[in-house]
Amino acid sequence: MRETILKKLAHWHAAHPWRVLLMVIIATVILGGLASRLSITMQTSDLLPEGDSKVIQFNKIIDEFATATNLTVVVQGHEERIKEFADELAPHILELRDNSQNESNKEEIDNLQERIEKLRSNGDDELEITELESEINALQSRIDRKLFQHVDYKAEIGFLKNHMLMLVKEDDLKNIKDVFMDPNLSGLLTNYNNSMEKEYVGQEESISTREKEDGAWAFLDGIQNLVFSVQSVVRRENIPEEEIQRAADKLLFGEPYMLSYDKKALVMIAIPNFTIMDRDLLNIAAVSVQELVDEQLKKYPDITAGISGSIAREHDEETYSKEAIGSSTLIALIVILILLMLSFRMWVSPFLALLTLIVGVVWALGASWIAVGQLNMVTSMMSVIILGLGIDFAIHLISGFTERRAAGESILDALENTYLKSGKGIITGAATTACAFLSLIISQARGMRELGIVIGIGLISILLATMFFLPVMLVLRERIVDRKREAKIGKKRFVQRDISFQFLGRVGETLSKRYVFTIIASCIVTIVLVWSALKITYDHNYMNLEPEGLTSIALMDTVLEKFDLNIEYGLILADNVEESREFSKQCRELSSVALTDDISLYLPSPEEQNKRIPHIQDVRRKIQSTPVKRTVSPAELNTINNEIDRLEMNIMEMQDMAFLGGQDKVDNKCKEIVGDPDNPDSGNIIRDLRELIESDVLKAQKGLSEFQQNFGRYFKDAVIKMSSIEQIELEELPITILDRYSNRSRNRFIVTVYPAGNLWEHKELLDRFVDDMDRVTEKATGSPSLTVALVRIFARDGRNAILLTLFIVFLLLWLDFRNPRHALMAMIPLACGVFWMVGAMRLFNMQFNMMSLMGLPLIIGIGIDDGVHVIHRWLNEGTGKIRTVFSSTGKAIFLTSLTTMFAFGSLGFSIFRGWASFGISLAIGVGTCFLTTVIILPGIIGIIERKKI
Amino acid sequence: MKSIIISWLVILLLATVSFSQQLSGEDIIQKVNELFNPQTSYGKAMMTIVTTSGSNRTFVYESWSKDKGEKNLVRYLEPSRVKDQATLMLNHADDIWMYFPRTQRVRKLATHAKKQKMQGSDFSYEDMGGGDVFITDFSPKRLEDEKMEDHDCYKLELTRKPNVDISYSRLIMWIIKENFVPIVIDYYDEDDPDLSEKRLVQSDIRTIDNIPTAMKVVMYNKNDNTQTEIELLEVKYNIPLDDEMFTERGLKK
Repeated sequence: MRETILKKLAHWHAAHPWRVLLMVIIATVILGGLASRLSITMQTSDLLPEGDSKVIQFNKIIDEFATATNLTVVVQGHEERIKEFADELAPHILELRDNSQNESNKEEIDNLQERIEKLRSNGDDELEITELESEINALQSRIDRKLFQHVDYKAEIGFLKNHMLMLVKEDDLKNIKDVFMDPNLSGLLTNYNNSMEKEYVGQEESISTREKEDGAWAFLDGIQNLVFSVQSVVRRENIPEEEIQRAADKLLFGEPYMLSYDKKALVMIAIPNFTIMDRDLLNIAAVSVQELVDEQLKKYPDITAGISGSIAREHDEETYSKEAIGSSTLIALIVILILLMLSFRMWVSPFLALLTLIVGVVWALGASWIAVGQLNMVTSMMSVIILGLGIDFAIHLISGFTERRAAGESILDALENTYLKSGKGIITGAATTACAFLSLIISQARGMRELGIVIGIGLISILLATMFFLPVMLVLRERIVDRKREAKIGKKRFVQRDISFQFLGRVGETLSKRYVFTIIASCIVTIVLVWSALKITYDHNYMNLEPEGLTSIALMDTVLEKFDLNIEYGLILADNVEESREFSKQCRELSSVALTDDISLYLPSPEEQNKRIPHIQDVRRKIQSTPVKRTVSPAELNTINNEIDRLEMNIMEMQDMAFLGGQDKVDNKCKEIVGDPDNPDSGNIIRDLRELIESDVLKAQKGLSEFQQNFGRYFKDAVIKMSSIEQIELEELPITILDRYSNRSRNRFIVTVYPAGNLWEHKELLDRFVDDMDRVTEKATGSPSLTVALVRIFARDGRNAILLTLFIVFLLLWLDFRNPRHALMAMIPLACGVFWMVGAMRLFNMQFNMMSLMGLPLIIGIGIDDGVHVIHRWLNEGTGKIRTVFSSTGKAIFLTSLTTMFAFGSLGFSIFRGWASFGISLAIGVGTCFLTTVIILPGIIGIIERKKI
Repeated sequence: MKSIIISWLVILLLATVSFSQQLSGEDIIQKVNELFNPQTSYGKAMMTIVTTSGSNRTFVYESWSKDKGEKNLVRYLEPSRVKDQATLMLNHADDIWMYFPRTQRVRKLATHAKKQKMQGSDFSYEDMGGGDVFITDFSPKRLEDEKMEDHDCYKLELTRKPNVDISYSRLIMWIIKENFVPIVIDYYDEDDPDLSEKRLVQSDIRTIDNIPTAMKVVMYNKNDNTQTEIELLEVKYNIPLDDEMFTERGLKK
């Protein structure tokens, strides 16, 4: 049956090559069109089972929360300049619109309107008309659609101005309320000093946590700003009223801009009108903002700026992954072409083989779009994998055909014989490997399942291209060659060249003759490499799989370093505000959690608000009854001087405690205020202020009096305003706060949970953090949870896939050889090759990671081929022909292994480190399987032939 | 003659085994407590912590303790920035004072600070405070003996007594049979007795003034994945110490 089909195929190709070629071209155009629709997603959640509860929760967050998708602009430079830059850029970002789909949307609207008119004229169902109208509305909203809804880079202090004190915890309120009770300079400084001695010097714990350290830093920043302002007035410099008000605001509410601790970087977070699933809008938004930033940078040559965040990262990863696939594929193609040209000592056939591969890859990509819709982090490198595997088919076909043509057979005979002799083997080999990959369909993890489907389909596509396209090209080429030969040389017979690898034959023969040595040496090497393999470690650091050198990724590190923001965090979706508050409270009590961020920060419970009211009323009463003094009397100036000295001492003590406690942010801030104790030349702005006052007391007194009037009045009004005892309600919260913590329908709330350390560098902390969050609620999700789930599911699926692949391979080989012993024999080099691979990886100081671990089931499907070909040939040749087997088949498997290694090895150049490790480990695996085949199998064959087993 | 010697050795060995088997959890922890709390002590040590920006910082300090660890004084020697800065802990670290030579002021820290990290290290004031907490705050239970860090050890589980204000729900302790030094202590979370929070490992044990002393102590913090190492440079026990040392005035000296 198979022979009849293959014969017919050969006849058809030889008789109608142009028709077949036309069909191939049509198929390529259609499938190429489909392939162009393939997008790439680099999200971890796309690798997990769709029904996984963590994936469901994560996708809900992505769908419902605008802030789950964002674009971050990181601006670096001098404080004032980066603020100016941000103020100028923000409105431009908000003006960005998507008009790429305007034409098609307008056309669609026209069509729908026509349909509505027809329906109306026919007096048809109103319901359908209403549906069509709502469709029109949806389409109209997409015309000139705004890409971003808002840009967060400056805190909205309007809300804080009204409710600040209601947001302070009762315990903290008790400690700090005194500082709001006197608007006059002497009273204010006295109150600040009292508070510092109580809060920061009095309680070690105050600066022993991240949250408190940030509070201390902000507190010091406000003081630093106040000191600068007071210095200016003492110098009698002209300070605008707004600047004095800004100083008061900073003291009361902190720095409004999202600045780094060193104030040399600023982040702007643009919240889009789309989710990360809208790939087209995502790319348009990233490109548009990048263009805006580049354009504006021309006016700000002294600063640097770049884009990051999930939008930029997804855009960069998609763009660069496509480029990386392209460059890896190109490298692989060139190297394979050179290798084949050197081996076959001709250039046309290898070129045709590559053309076949390209056609096969296009078909594979088109078929993949039909099967899976989009490629993920794992399947995106399919083209390189199928290239490495599929070249084998072309090599076998070209070898057979050229050998027969060189032997003088006609085109038809050569093609028919090649199909019959090599075609069967190619089909069996392709089917075995494709089945091995397709068996991954049983995997729960979407990533692994899709990998199996995509590679399985890919191999079948390359097989079809090899069986339909390559023979046609060979036939056409031979016709041209024949015509030229007849015209120029006449009928000259070719001399067949021996292009087999004799050295491989000699090595095989020697190893077979000395089978005792071969087996013992192989056992020793295998034991050593198994010992090495057992010591290989697993790299849990997910960041080590990320691409190197991408701006969006590099800027994430900048954010991490300068803002001390952990970019990996857990997420919990709460069904109401109370649940959000409760989850947040429970998480804060976990030792693996540093801090949480949720709506309760701006919306304390009614009970909490009630407890705060008496303290707020104290503040209100006191500040209302304290008048702003018109002048600073000499006695008050004396008090101010004493309090300035006390302030200096308090900050010095705070600095010394921070140094002992390793709190670098607080220590560094203190250095800016009272100087560095290790550097006598460092400035002390408080002492400078003291000296300024003493240098001209009268001038100082006058300046301070003026300052007190402006500052005191504003401070008093601000404190009265912020000491409102009205209960804060959800609806009152500003939209930016609501968007940050709740979904668009305002019926779900998000809790962000930051871990106590770097999760990727500490596996134990990662597991503990994820387990802790799971204990709080099963709704916990986020990238740490997803990654842990992914590793667990991949490990389980990987193990199942390995077992299933081994079983299927064994079954197919048994069917092929019709002898289980021969099937087992073919599998021995594979088993040893896998151990040699892992052992060699360990010797090269490599670690397993999520990507390279996936190489293990793949190498079983790939590495089996070498043993199968050798056993086939050995059975065909018969006893005593070991030299012939390894000279000829040895050469074929050497070439196919080398081409596969080059294809996988080309991934080593990828900036995606996960792919690079995947490619390199597979290249090593293919190499070790080849070595075990040409070293161990001759020994086993030697025993069988001599002992007649 | 040879057989007599062997018989004696066997008897001696059995006696040792039966002695060690007779010891209850209470007996063992009592001996550990005695070892931990000499009447007075003096030490000079080097401590390395990890700062919030991830760099290592090393301090050298002297410490004195009196009344079986009830009173403790720590005075920093190095680096020069903290020279003469001192901490006084009384009532087993319930009351903590600090002296700042730069401002020449003494400040009292809040009492509940004893559960907090001491100077950015992985030790809390409570861990350093000494005293009889192993006996007063925990109930011991002897578990099956185990080998730990190449030593034959007693293994004890100390469970927090009800209504006791201490940061750990339980401790697991491996105590060297030969000298009753707790070579490893696992500290479990205040609220979750299954959650191991920290591990203390003692090594380089030398006998000083007849008291076996671990010259190196490392506290591993499993939550923060940090560790603090204390290396003792000099130790003396049962030396005369004036009560005046453990006062605000003594703190300033």
